[in-house]
Amino acid sequence: MSDIEQPAGELWGREGFREDPYVTAETLEEAGDAPAVILPLGVWLGLTEEIRNASNRKIGVVVAPGESVEPLLPLLDSIPVIALEFPAFSDGRSYSKAELIKNQHHFKGELRAVGDVLIDQVAYMLRTGFDTMKVNHAVTLNRLAGHNLHDVPGYYQPGRGSHTVPGTYSWRRVPGA
Amino acid sequence: MYRYDEFDHAFVSARVEQFKDQVERRLAGELTEEQFRPLRLMNGVYLQLHAYMLRVAVPYGTLSSRQMHKLAHIARRYDRGYGHFTTRQNIQYNWPALKDIPAVLDELASVEMHALQTSGNCIRNVTADHFAGAAADEVGDPRPYAEILRQWSSMHPEFSYLPRKFKIAVTGADRDRAAIQVHDIGLHLKKNESGELGFGVYVGGGQGRTPMVAKKVRDFLPVEDLLTYTTAIVRVYNLNGRRDNKYKARIKILVHETGTEEITRQIETEWQAIKETDLKLPQQDVDAIDAYFAPPNLVQRPEGWSELAAARKADPAFSAWVDQNVTPHKNPDYGVVTISLKPIGGIPGDATDAQMDLVADIAEKFSYDEIRVSHEQNLVLPHVAIADLRIVYDLLLTDGLATANAGLITDIISCPGLDYCALATARSIPVAQRISERFGNPERQADIGELKLKISGCINACGHHHVGHIGILGVEKKGEELYQISLGGSGDEICTIGDITGRGFSSEEIVDAIETIVDRYLEIRTDKEETFLATYRRVGAAPFKDALYSEVANAA
Repeated sequence: MSDIEQPAGELWGREGFREDPYVTAETLEEAGDAPAVILPLGVWLGLTEEIRNASNRKIGVVVAPGESVEPLLPLLDSIPVIALEFPAFSDGRSYSKAELIKNQHHFKGELRAVGDVLIDQVAYMLRTGFDTMKVNHAVTLNRLAGHNLHDVPGYYQPGRGSHTVPGTYSWRRVPGA
Repeated sequence: MYRYDEFDHAFVSARVEQFKDQVERRLAGELTEEQFRPLRLMNGVYLQLHAYMLRVAVPYGTLSSRQMHKLAHIARRYDRGYGHFTTRQNIQYNWPALKDIPAVLDELASVEMHALQTSGNCIRNVTADHFAGAAADEVGDPRPYAEILRQWSSMHPEFSYLPRKFKIAVTGADRDRAAIQVHDIGLHLKKNESGELGFGVYVGGGQGRTPMVAKKVRDFLPVEDLLTYTTAIVRVYNLNGRRDNKYKARIKILVHETGTEEITRQIETEWQAIKETDLKLPQQDVDAIDAYFAPPNLVQRPEGWSELAAARKADPAFSAWVDQNVTPHKNPDYGVVTISLKPIGGIPGDATDAQMDLVADIAEKFSYDEIRVSHEQNLVLPHVAIADLRIVYDLLLTDGLATANAGLITDIISCPGLDYCALATARSIPVAQRISERFGNPERQADIGELKLKISGCINACGHHHVGHIGILGVEKKGEELYQISLGGSGDEICTIGDITGRGFSSEEIVDAIETIVDRYLEIRTDKEETFLATYRRVGAAPFKDALYSEVANAA
């Protein structure tokens, strides 16, 4: 297949690449007057309710693999985007966090994967509930640009973006909403 | 046995196509070995000392004749004419060329087999009692549940990047032949007072460098909750298992560090949240899978008993084989035959292409087309009429497959060790071969009786030495191979980890040391009925240590 050059830094979702409206900052001050910002978990939790819910800017949160998402669960309605970090492709904790946030606690905002994502993991991420991906892996970016998701024709578990198969086992699914 | 439907076929062929593309990219140099590594591991391809190794999944150790013929064909065409059956009820090929592996996977797919999840930090091939569906003492067949778990865990989106590999074993009898208490999850299929089927659930067992016996977290889990409860366990592990140290990453360490009570609470909390979700098993689905494992319609063969008596009288060697390698079947006209892959002085678990073909032919004619691979690295014919035992024995005899040593001291479990494995620190196969030769005399080993001897060539314990009645661990010390002995381990329902005797023995000394232990056992057992393990449990390590270290000291 032909590989299409895709610059890092763009955001990918099921519809393709788009520009990321968010800036990532260590503090709110550092973000200046950016209308959309993603802050570290500790900083985000330290914001007042008033600032979090301010109508003039969106404030999202990024969670490292070693951090628990428990404190966010009662506050999900006030979060526009949660970014879960994948500093190494082999650290799979954020898949379970995605499951908790999206499927058990019905988070309505954008769930984002950030970091070292291999192309073979993208389909898994979409199924556990991730909406978007911000990827730094060149091969993955090229494959995403070529719409080659390494997906399979059927799944043996329930998951996002799939539906049941009438007449077969309850745990099976096929792709498609 | 389970048969693929269209869904399964499409899934497996899609995976083969993906891997073909990945292999082509690797061979073309587009992927480095490092980039290729996680991809090949997902397809069961390891890089060993000398070559790539392909590990093929044999789900819960069940094979048809057609599948066994295919395994023979692969050994002949793509390898050096043999394969190695493993302690995970799988088969490994040691010498396939990388360029051929996609073709091998195609061949496997044509008989509903694959190599998925035989490596990597995911839920591995689910194992089960190798006598499932046949053993006289069985409460229920564990294989339908192993099959449901196999499907559910296949390419699981949430659980494919766990802290470490994850192994599940299921047994369907009180006598545990699947070693469930040394698995990450052990499931004991049983009935409650009202006669309903469910599972005793054990979590956090394992061997490796920190051996642990699993803790029971639930006495009775209804069948409908199998997948929700398993999900809860694996989720708690995925979120909280250690990732800072590869050697502390298995769930056994999490259970140990968290405490059984607290981990049980966490699992139960998670389970309550997902108990009533899509993964709750409808009875009709359980029944549909169960139907695949319906027992074969066994023809009544009562004539076997008188024929057997006559045949045994006529041939003591045959009689010894029946005593040792045939166990009771649910149907009294039938027996369960263990085909020993432990010929005296041979390589434990190895089978040639011709032997695999022979076993497949015998199974087709005399065992209702069914074969099992045991975690003890033997093969099993689950449904052989007593009346056919003599002819089956004669056929096995034609290619060295009638060794009468199932459960005896020469029925050794051994990992591949330094002869193949990149992780090994010592050789294990040659030690197994020498012990086998030392105790090879049929009368002598029959007199010694049941004795499970297991050898690992490194601390990862693939040879299960921790649960050997006698365990041997090969380590490297100052450039020399040194063998440490442990005693009193057991992987059955009374699960124990063996006790290390003391300083290790050199390669030259180790066989003598084993003989010293065995001789001491023969001296102190109350009678022939008291097995080595029973004697050890009665007297403890002292008499054996005494014999071992005083005698060797004297000899030196």
